[in-house]
Amino acid sequence: MDSSSPPLPPPTDLTATWNFLENGIEHIMNRLEEGLSYKRYMDLYTGIYNYCTSSRMNPGFTSEPLAGPGANLSNNRGANLMGSDLYQNLQRYLERYLHTIRENSTQHMDENLLRYYTKHWEKYTTASSYVHHVFRYLNRHWVKREIDEGRKTVYDVYTLTLVSWRDYMFMHVERHVMAAVLKLIERQRNGESVETGLVKSVVESFVALGLDDADSTKSTLDVYKEHFQKPFVEASEVYYKAESEKFVSENSVTEYMKKAEARLREEENRVKLYLHQSTHKPLITTCETVLVKNHTDIMWDEFQTLLNLDKMDDLNRMYSLLSRISEGLDPLRTRFEEHVRKAGLNAIEKVADQGNDNLEPKIYVDALLEVHSKYNDMVTTAFRGEAGFVASLDKACREFVNRNKVCKASTSKSPELLARFCDSLLRKSSKNPEENDLEEVLNNIMTVFKYVEDKDVFQKFYSKMLAKRLVNGTSASEDAESSMISKLKEACGFEYTSKLQRMFTDMGLSKDLNDQFKERNSVGANEQVDFSVLVLGTASWPLQPSTTNFTIPEELERTFQHFKMFYQHKHSGRKLNWLFHLSKGELKANYCHLSKAGYTFQVSTYQMGILLQYNKDTSYTFEELKQSTDLNAEVLIGALGTLVKAKVLELSDGTEVGDSSSRYELNMDFKSKKVRIQLNVPIKSEQKVEVEETHKTVEEDRKLLMQAAIVRIMKTRKTLKHVVLVNEVIAQLSNRFKPKIPDIKKCIDVLLEKEYIERVDGQKDMFSYVA
Amino acid sequence: MSTSTSEKASGETKKVTLKSCDDVEFKVDIPVANVGESDQSIPLPNVSEKVLKKVLEWCEHHVNDPQPTNDDDDSRRRNTEIDDWDQRFLNVEQDMLFEIILAANYLDIKPLLDIGCKTVANMIKGKSPEEIRTTFNIVNDFTPEEEEQIRKENEWAEDR
Repeated sequence: MDSSSPPLPPPTDLTATWNFLENGIEHIMNRLEEGLSYKRYMDLYTGIYNYCTSSRMNPGFTSEPLAGPGANLSNNRGANLMGSDLYQNLQRYLERYLHTIRENSTQHMDENLLRYYTKHWEKYTTASSYVHHVFRYLNRHWVKREIDEGRKTVYDVYTLTLVSWRDYMFMHVERHVMAAVLKLIERQRNGESVETGLVKSVVESFVALGLDDADSTKSTLDVYKEHFQKPFVEASEVYYKAESEKFVSENSVTEYMKKAEARLREEENRVKLYLHQSTHKPLITTCETVLVKNHTDIMWDEFQTLLNLDKMDDLNRMYSLLSRISEGLDPLRTRFEEHVRKAGLNAIEKVADQGNDNLEPKIYVDALLEVHSKYNDMVTTAFRGEAGFVASLDKACREFVNRNKVCKASTSKSPELLARFCDSLLRKSSKNPEENDLEEVLNNIMTVFKYVEDKDVFQKFYSKMLAKRLVNGTSASEDAESSMISKLKEACGFEYTSKLQRMFTDMGLSKDLNDQFKERNSVGANEQVDFSVLVLGTASWPLQPSTTNFTIPEELERTFQHFKMFYQHKHSGRKLNWLFHLSKGELKANYCHLSKAGYTFQVSTYQMGILLQYNKDTSYTFEELKQSTDLNAEVLIGALGTLVKAKVLELSDGTEVGDSSSRYELNMDFKSKKVRIQLNVPIKSEQKVEVEETHKTVEEDRKLLMQAAIVRIMKTRKTLKHVVLVNEVIAQLSNRFKPKIPDIKKCIDVLLEKEYIERVDGQKDMFSYVA
Repeated sequence: MSTSTSEKASGETKKVTLKSCDDVEFKVDIPVANVGESDQSIPLPNVSEKVLKKVLEWCEHHVNDPQPTNDDDDSRRRNTEIDDWDQRFLNVEQDMLFEIILAANYLDIKPLLDIGCKTVANMIKGKSPEEIRTTFNIVNDFTPEEEEQIRKENEWAEDR
């Protein structure tokens, strides 16, 4: 402890005051570790205070001429504010002090120089903050006044110490210090462990020396940028250029990517650990150029190999490296798209070859999904769901979903198979999946659906099959049905599913109607037959009228009439068309000798019409049956065929069902293991015709849709060029199907003929709307 | 004095010892003294017991005032109001008033320095030179010629 503080000097004596102060400053600068007592501290402060306020004892302004208005302050200053002598003495002291440190620095090199520099820097700045406080009175008055008056070369005492260090120390040794820093970092990059704290201190020192010349209270990074960052980034570039070129020539691309990734991570950490954060950008940009940009070609070339081998980790690494530089990913996206497209086409080709003509919808859809899901995973994991890769995936999928071997003839094969797959899932079957699984499969279907171009074809098939499920009561679950419809609605809008929803409404209404009818009839005469009916709106249901006449068997006639009256009474003016070809019923057969309980036949209404004839007689000719049922030959042959095949009727006097001379006898010896026998089976050839018809109606509908679109567009635009019109039609219909340009042209011709639009005179390819 | 404040959230407030130039010690709460913790007593070679006592009284009263910042320098200067407590506090003999002002400057207690100077300014305000001389006990050492010249040069500042 320095309790032996010398006595305070006389306030007006500069030499004595300075000697007193220098003694104290010397102690602070060199022996601070011995401590500084409050007494010593207060004495130094008081010494400065006394000196600066000593002028009040001198007669003040008597000798100076008095100034005019406004000039009083500056003229009195010299007399009232003492301090410049102390300031200058301090300045000279610091110069001397730093000169010695600088001289001694030449004995050190490399790491030792860094140790020497940082040790003195830390000691100097700590001491300086004490000196700064001792000089507070000077800072508060003399220095403040000088700065207020615009003196750029006067600083508060702490800043003065920094400026002195910069001018008398830093400027002379910074080259050697930086050389040592770069050497140290290079050694670290080579794998040696080094004392990074030294670099951190040097950085802090360089940053602290960035003083703003215009305003000494502010700091800039100029010194750090110029003397540290610039040489450091340059050295990094040289180092990594050499290293990466050598490494690439000796190792595989995948190995190189690991190296580059590790190096980039290392450099990011370096900035965090001991550099100024502002170096992050220039350093990392430089490293990205040297490590990634200069080697893009070999990485791009490697990409296909990695795709072929599904190397997720390497793909991910390549993605993250190339995403660092502009346009680094473009070639990858293109190649990825091509790769996925090929994978999709190959997968479909494989299943197409196996399935021949009768391709199972499930196999087809699964094949599409498998490819999609594999590459979707790749996009999410390896390419981190980046939008460009998502777009490439979508483009590729759209290609192979709509144009593959199965769709060779027409793009509408995909939606047809997809709709069939839906039907197989939603129809009652022993193979129906569990509710949770079903939901997942339906979501997968929607994934494929998204890529389907001919969404109208899907709609057609879907509504056909839905109608069948509803009419035949074969829908597995109402929840699943409505879940699927809401998915479609979400994807394509309200209009797309409105008819489907209407169908469900009709089912509900019919149920109520049956209840009411039953209730009414239970009061009156007993009905002989159990009867129910579906009343379905023609506009929403894709049901064809029957192709044949039919005479209702007299057993049914009464109920039939009752219902007609009931319905007319309820909704007068509505017309009921009876679709007997879609109707069915059950017959109880008690005539069989070999069964006491008898059998129940499940039959179509037409079959019912035939069998009920046998209540009167047991044998009829083809012509007789034709007459009594009024069915046309084709339908009659179909219905009889199943009955004969099941041996309910026996064919005699003819070789084939339908021969004009053929005769059909009731088989009194009919026997079966089952009590209920299903005779109402659909006929194969009918199904095929139906598919073709559905495709045909799609074509018809499209013409109408295109014409409607053209009229809509022309009505709002009034006049339009041919090309623009065609493009707008394509855009408007794109969420339903992809119109072909020749078809649009045909529709335009139709509308010209019908005079909805006309050509504008004197202008080529210009149409206008006819109101 | 020093810039750091040290206040303990709980328990008794810590104290430091301040020592006047005539060697009288004062135990003072750290927030009042506005210094760092210290076991040593802090000598104040330029302040007597009488004045230090007065100054500490002021500091204790104002211990919870916000620290003045550089920003409100201007508003502080313009404001000529002195609150009642401070007025009563500075209602002392002239010698004491000047000692307080000097101590406030030495100890860097800006608000006290401000009101001290304002008090003196108020004593001058509205007085003729002769009255001012009487108030502060100043001997007129100007010759009549010098006095005339000063008046002429300061004509612009006179109320009319």
